[in-house]
Amino acid sequence: MTRIHFLAPGFPLAEFVAFFVILGLLELRFRERANELHNTNRKLQEMQAEFLLMSRELQESKARLEEAQRVAHVGYFIWDLKTDRVIWSDETFRIFGLKPQDEPIDLARVGEMMHPEDREFVFRTAEEAIRSGVQVDCEHRILRPTGEMRVVHSLGDLKKDSSGQPYQMFGTTQDITDRKRAEEALERSQFYLSEGQRLAHMGSWAASSLGVRGSGDLNIYWSDEVYKIFGLDPQNGPPNLEQYLAAVHPDDRASMAKSVRMMHEQRCGCDLTNRIVRPNGEVRYIRCVGVPLLEDGVFKGFVGTTMDVTEQELLTQELRRERAYLREAQCLTHAGSWAANFVTGQIFHLSDETVRMHGFDPSEGAIPFERFFNTVHPEDQPGVKAALESATRAGTDYDIEYRVCRANDGSIRFFRSLGHHNPSGEIGNYIGTTMDITEQKRAEQERERLRQLEADLAHTNRVNMLGELAAALAHEIKQPISAAITSANACLRWLAHDPPDLERARAAATRIEEDGNRAADVINRLRSFYKKGATPERRMLDVKDIVQEMTVLLRNEVVQHSITIHSELDANMPNILGDRVQLQQVFMNLMLNAIEAMKDTGGELTIRSGLSPEGELLISISDTGVGLPLKNLERIFDAFHTTKPQGTGMGLAITRSIVESHGGRIWATANQEAGATFHFTLPREAEAHA
Amino acid sequence: MKSPAGPIVFIIDDDRGMRQSIQDLVESVGLRAESFATGEEFLKRKRTYEPSCLVLDVRLPAMSGLDFQRRLDEAGMQIPIIFITAHGDISMSVRALKSGAVEFLTKPFRDQDLLDAIQQALQRDSAAREFQAEIHDLHERYGALTGREREVMTHVVAGLLNKQIASEIGASEATVKIHRGHVMQKMQAGSIVDLVRMADKLKLSPRK
Repeated sequence: MTRIHFLAPGFPLAEFVAFFVILGLLELRFRERANELHNTNRKLQEMQAEFLLMSRELQESKARLEEAQRVAHVGYFIWDLKTDRVIWSDETFRIFGLKPQDEPIDLARVGEMMHPEDREFVFRTAEEAIRSGVQVDCEHRILRPTGEMRVVHSLGDLKKDSSGQPYQMFGTTQDITDRKRAEEALERSQFYLSEGQRLAHMGSWAASSLGVRGSGDLNIYWSDEVYKIFGLDPQNGPPNLEQYLAAVHPDDRASMAKSVRMMHEQRCGCDLTNRIVRPNGEVRYIRCVGVPLLEDGVFKGFVGTTMDVTEQELLTQELRRERAYLREAQCLTHAGSWAANFVTGQIFHLSDETVRMHGFDPSEGAIPFERFFNTVHPEDQPGVKAALESATRAGTDYDIEYRVCRANDGSIRFFRSLGHHNPSGEIGNYIGTTMDITEQKRAEQERERLRQLEADLAHTNRVNMLGELAAALAHEIKQPISAAITSANACLRWLAHDPPDLERARAAATRIEEDGNRAADVINRLRSFYKKGATPERRMLDVKDIVQEMTVLLRNEVVQHSITIHSELDANMPNILGDRVQLQQVFMNLMLNAIEAMKDTGGELTIRSGLSPEGELLISISDTGVGLPLKNLERIFDAFHTTKPQGTGMGLAITRSIVESHGGRIWATANQEAGATFHFTLPREAEAHA
Repeated sequence: MKSPAGPIVFIIDDDRGMRQSIQDLVESVGLRAESFATGEEFLKRKRTYEPSCLVLDVRLPAMSGLDFQRRLDEAGMQIPIIFITAHGDISMSVRALKSGAVEFLTKPFRDQDLLDAIQQALQRDSAAREFQAEIHDLHERYGALTGREREVMTHVVAGLLNKQIASEIGASEATVKIHRGHVMQKMQAGSIVDLVRMADKLKLSPRK
């Protein structure tokens, strides 16, 4: 082809050139395209080969997926939202207890297989997801054709078309029945555990380290109950070491810190009881037990329990305190307690005091029954043995006294032992107390000795009193006799006068007679004192006479101490039946008593008579002296009770015994102004006879 | 200086029979007697200037006879006392006699013993009273001397010569002689020896 071109004027050269250029470019493109096509063809071939490969791989992968689904009990489903038909994977069919099939199944059919109680919930969840476009995630129950119930976990994703309209849901269904059961069992056991912990006030903990090193983080797990015990909020998480120690009672903090350090360093367990302070200030006792956790010999941390033992601790402390009190009480009263079997010689319980009382050392440990028995005084051993044997045989209680030679120093002590037979126990089982009654025993002996002395003194007192009365009477006799002698002398002198003064002589002689009679009276009284006799002689007596005699007898005492005696005696007072000497003694004692009370001050002694409301003769002897002792007023009539330095304490005792032997009563009252009054009654003649 | 009524015996005994019989006995020998039941009664009686003595029972109401004796002493009533007692002991009698009792008699006593004791007591009392009267008299005479005369008298009884006295008191011998005469006259002294005895009784101590 020839290409001659003429360029005429007006020839569109530019267009012409452009045409060829474009033609050339087109050709170039064509060639490029042809190359591309070729290349593509080759690529396609390669791809085909690759596809074949992939298809094979896909087959394998699909099989693997099936296998995986089967193993994991996970199936998938494809839900066509337009047709409401569902395609299930083989495993899904198996999960639902059906034979795998390729045909899709109706949604309604799927719904039937849901557990009736969950059906509504599942569809609602699905509709909700479709409407809002979120993923479905729910657990629900299904019923297999056999009626078996399974629990499944379904997840579903929505597929949307270009307009954003969901047209399909693709999801998985996993059979989680076994896991669920395990979970429930775990939950149940955890519930039981936590409930148990709650009831027992016991929590558990586990810690991988104890925070001793580094950050102070305990790396600890606390069960709810531990938080509760510490009064802390689980929301805040477990404490670090510093916080933990801060919760411990200040007094226990140092030892707790030390224990923690030791556990850490030596990988050892712990069993500590210490106090904590709750945030509200309440103090609780907790017992913390921890053990190191080893796995194949490798230390993994600690596990342990924390228990609130406040109640137990308080009880324990109280028990301990009470035991201390009991010990103290036994020690103070020298009473020990014990429990033993007399047949087998077995000892179940021995208080320290029991051991000590027998002269053993409580720290030397168990002491056989035989050694206790050997401390019994040899003379008392047969008696004790017999008493125990007979009580054991009869199964009765016993109460015995015996002597013991203490094991340590051989000192002799008096014991009283009370044994109580335990009827429900074995033969010979006794519990009891043993008391050291040595002091009581000695006091008893002393009392007995005093009683004897009292009796002796009562006798001596009587003898002494008679001696004193005799001396007083001798003085009384001397007085009239001296007067009579002097009067006789005067009489003689009057007669010797020149002329004899008969008048004066007669007067003197008259006085002699008077004084002679006076002396005779005294002697009569003296005789009545000596004529005591062993048995009291009851005769009709006029109390006025006795008062008169006593007033005379005590005149010296009275004048010596500037005392005056007033008698206000009823002239018509009845006679009484009594022993003269004894009643003299009563008056003598009471009047001497009154004089004694006034000897430093002087005063008045008044004797009154009257009748008691019961019609008895009532005699009162009052003084204006020091008065009665305020305390022990009721004891003043007791033998040996005396407020006087030189008193024997017998006077009022004898007085009372005489008054009472006459059927009367005696008592004392304080006077309104000064001094005291002693009153006594004596039954009148008629009653006395009866 | 006996009073015309004669000596008087006081009896204090709380035993009526006793004091009556003693009073009667005393009266039977012609002496006056007064008896009292208590010391108080006796003290109330007007004091007498006749020779007298006291028969006192040791055991008195309110106060023992020994205490009463002391009380009389303290009151300046010097009267001889004869104690009587129904049961005296040695220590009591020693105490009584030491404090000036004339006698200590135990009842019953022989009447003559009591009467002798009374006689002795009355004599002692009248002697005492005479002595007291003389002393009283001397005091009156001595009281009549002037100061100068007393001075001279002191020197005279000390045995100084007139010349010595004159130089001692700074006067002339003649003046001393006049004083000396007055002293002898006023003191009613018959001799120097008399005057010395008087000074002795007046317990004048010679001036050195």
